[in-house]
Amino acid sequence: MISGLVQILLFQSIGELVSKFLLASLPGPVIGLVLLVLWLVLRKGINTELALVADGFSQYLGLLFVPAAVGVVLFLPQLQANALAIISALVGSVILTIGSSAFIVRFLSREDAHE
Amino acid sequence: MSEQHSIVEIWVYLSGSPLFALFITLAAYQIGLTIYKHAKQNPLANPVAIAIILVASTIQWVEMPYTTYFEGAQFIHFLLGSATVSLAIPIYRGLASLKGRSIPLIFSLVAGGLVSIVSAVEIAKLLGADSSITGAMYPKSVTAPIAMGIAERIGVSPTLTAIFAVSTGILGAILAPFVLNMLGMKAWWQRGFAIGIAAHGIGTSRAFSIHPEAGTYASLAMGLNGVISAIAIPVIYHLFNK
Repeated sequence: MISGLVQILLFQSIGELVSKFLLASLPGPVIGLVLLVLWLVLRKGINTELALVADGFSQYLGLLFVPAAVGVVLFLPQLQANALAIISALVGSVILTIGSSAFIVRFLSREDAHE
Repeated sequence: MSEQHSIVEIWVYLSGSPLFALFITLAAYQIGLTIYKHAKQNPLANPVAIAIILVASTIQWVEMPYTTYFEGAQFIHFLLGSATVSLAIPIYRGLASLKGRSIPLIFSLVAGGLVSIVSAVEIAKLLGADSSITGAMYPKSVTAPIAMGIAERIGVSPTLTAIFAVSTGILGAILAPFVLNMLGMKAWWQRGFAIGIAAHGIGTSRAFSIHPEAGTYASLAMGLNGVISAIAIPVIYHLFNK
């Protein structure tokens, strides 16, 4: 498990460095993610230690954004004042997004659709 | 020393250390997970939403300022970056099972990403939301750790973005089956991909609980959408907000 964490932190650190000195428009972790994907493609495989840590993170991903989201207490009046706009935007947008993504992926891969 | 007094002293000690914030955050999430399991993984009983409500109520009840809470909870928050890097693994697994489906997926991803932004921002604007709200809507279909990074980059509130992202994930997980059935979508990989684009992590775990192929494609869509959005949203945002 430690070896998996070391690999993740290594790519995160490289990502942060690249973000700081070369590509300031992208968040460091996203650069680290891309580099790690490239590395896995080159190596043609995921070692078990890395898989263990990554699966742990994705299983409890939700926990990690609780601290930031609790900041909602600072925005309650603003959210209440805009409640109708926010709810309509979120509901409308998610329906349109699912619909359009699904429609396009099916339209462009017709021969593949019957499985 | 009276008993009342010593309790206050213990409280002062606990609330000054990270322990209290860490404890309530993990405990609230644990309660959320338990409720979610008892509700047979109904998306309405989302463990993250439950945890947020419990922690927010608790710190308001004990009158702890949010900054004090965050000072302790930042140790959890810090792991967001590492979790983002870990998304490489589901992306790699998804890429390995692509089987020549990349063209429809890329187009669907770009279209879905744009529809998500434009529809959310325009509907909110139409109904009179101010720019701090509409700005935070841009990355709302992106997985929360990346969405918050994007929010920081474009100068909108990462907190509002996280709230909108979590709400979008929950709504997507609830509404996706209806929308996809209405469109007559049959292939699991296509259903999963659409869910992953629109409803990131929460949609993805719902997709996994329905069908493994849907789940793999949903997590691929979530990861790719995160990477593309991190590049594209700052550009799109500055195009519309000069």
